Amino acid sequence: MAESKGQQATLARLASVIERAAGDLSLAEEPARFIAALEDEADPEGAG
Amino acid sequence: MTDWTIASLSAAIREGKVSAVEATTQCLERARRLDGRLRAFITLDAEGALSEARALDAEAAAGRWRGPLHGVPLAYKDLCHIRGLPTSCGTKTAEYFSSERDCTAVRRLRRAGAVTLGKLNMTELALGPFGDNAHHGHAQNPWGPGHATGGSSSGSGVAVAAGLALGALGSDTGGSIRLPAACCAIAGLKPTYGRVSRAGVMPLSWSNDHIGPMARTVRDVALMLGVIAGRDPLDATSSHRPVAEYMAGLDQGIAGLRVAVPENFFFQGLDAEMEGAVRRALRVLEELGARVVEIRVPDPEIMNDVCNIIARCESAAVHARLVRERPEEIQPVVRARLELGFRISAHDYLQALRLRSRLTRTFIREVFADVDALVAPVIPEPAPLLAHVTAGAVDEIAERQGRFSRLTRPFNGLGLPAFALPCGFSRAGLPLAFQVVARPFDEATVLRAGSAYERAAGWHERRPELP
Repeated sequence: MAESKGQQATLARLASVIERAAGDLSLAEEPARFIAALEDEADPEGAG
Repeated sequence: MTDWTIASLSAAIREGKVSAVEATTQCLERARRLDGRLRAFITLDAEGALSEARALDAEAAAGRWRGPLHGVPLAYKDLCHIRGLPTSCGTKTAEYFSSERDCTAVRRLRRAGAVTLGKLNMTELALGPFGDNAHHGHAQNPWGPGHATGGSSSGSGVAVAAGLALGALGSDTGGSIRLPAACCAIAGLKPTYGRVSRAGVMPLSWSNDHIGPMARTVRDVALMLGVIAGRDPLDATSSHRPVAEYMAGLDQGIAGLRVAVPENFFFQGLDAEMEGAVRRALRVLEELGARVVEIRVPDPEIMNDVCNIIARCESAAVHARLVRERPEEIQPVVRARLELGFRISAHDYLQALRLRSRLTRTFIREVFADVDALVAPVIPEPAPLLAHVTAGAVDEIAERQGRFSRLTRPFNGLGLPAFALPCGFSRAGLPLAFQVVARPFDEATVLRAGSAYERAAGWHERRPELP
C-alpha cells in the first residue's frame, strides 16, 4: 500500500483544510450537532 | 411498456386494463432483449418476479390491494439486501453483503405492492461517479453509446431510462443517485439525511449515505418516496419527523416560490451547454411564478473536503477486511480510494465531523433565511466518454472523479434534500440536468418545483432510441 504522489498530495491538502478550518471550533461543537442542525433548521411550518 | 409511468401503470392495474403479470412480463422481455448491451442488471430474477406478480394478481382478483404500487415492477441497486437474492455491491463476490433483515426501503415498497425484477448494476462498492464496473460490465448510457451512465447507481439510471423497470432505488454518498439521473435524463432524489432508512443497505459512509427513489417522472419519485420515507427502528439515524403528503403538493404550482441561484462555485468551469440549459430552466421557473434571486453561498469546497475525509475514513473502516485480505479483487481506483482512508488520522476525521455540523447550520441559516429553494447544475458537463474518463493513471482518474461529483457532494455533507431532473439535451443528444435543493425535510418543496417545471418543459416525455 505505497502512497502515490497524488495520494500524498491529497492527504496533505485535506490535513491542511482541517488545520485551517477547525482551529476555532468551540468545545461544545460535536458531531451529533449535525442531526440537531437538520431537525432544528427544518421548515418551521413543518413541510416535511 | 416504455409509455407507462408508475402512476399510470398502477391506475391501469387497478382498473383491470393490465395485470401485474403482463406488466412484469413486458419488463422482463425488454430486459432480456436489451440488457446484454445495456448491462443494467446484475441479477434479473424472472422467476421470482413472475411469482410475485401472479400472487398480486390473485390478491387483486380477490379485491385485496396492497397499496399504491400494486403490481408495479421495480428494481434495486445491488447493495440492498433482499432475502433469496445475492448482494454483490458491485464487487467480484456475488454475496459480498448480507444483513439479518431485508432492506427496509425494499420491504416497504414490496408491502405497497411492488414487484421485484432484480438487482441493478453499480460502481464497485458504490465508489465512483462514472458507472464503470470491470466485474459486471460497464453500464451503458441509453442516450449515447460509450458515454458514462453516471454512478454509482448506474444500473438504476439505465434501467429506468431504458424502460426496463418503472422505478428504482439508488444510494447517494457523494451524488450517486443524482449523477446517473442527470446522465440518463430521469428524476432522482437524494432525500434529507435520516428521511429514508439505511437499514439493510451496504454502508459506504454511514454519515453521508442516503437512499432514494429514481424514476421517469416527478410524480413517480414522490409516490416512491411516500412509501419508503419515515422512522425505522432498525436505523438509529432515521428521523421521527412525520412524513409529508408528497403527492398532495405536486399540482399546486410555484407562484411566489423564492428560488436562489448561487453566484459562486456551482457555475464555475461549467460546460456552456449545461449552463445554458440550467439558466433556461431558471427562466421557466420564473415564468411559472417563482421569484429568482442570485446569492452567494458559503463555500461548498470546504464541505467537499470535509465530506471526502469522512467518506474515506468510514469506507476504509467498513471494507477494511476486503482491502487487507483480497486487495487483488478490487479495481485499482476503488482500492486507492479505500486505502486513502487508512492514512487519515482519527484527529482529522473527528474534526471533520465537528466541522460538518457547524458548516451545515451556517449554510442552512445563510441560504434559506430568505429563499425556499436553491437551484444548481448536477454535473459539470454532459456525460463524458467512459473510455476517456477511465483512462490513464489512478491519480488522474481519481481527480476526474472528484471533478465530476463536485457539484453534488456538498449536499451529502449538508444532508439536505437534493432533486436532480432533466432540463434538455446537448447538441450531441446527451442529457442536461439541474438539481433543486431545499431546507431539511422539505422534500415537498423540491418535488413541487420539479413537478411544475416538468409539466412546463416536458423533457420526461423524450425516450432514448433503443431497438
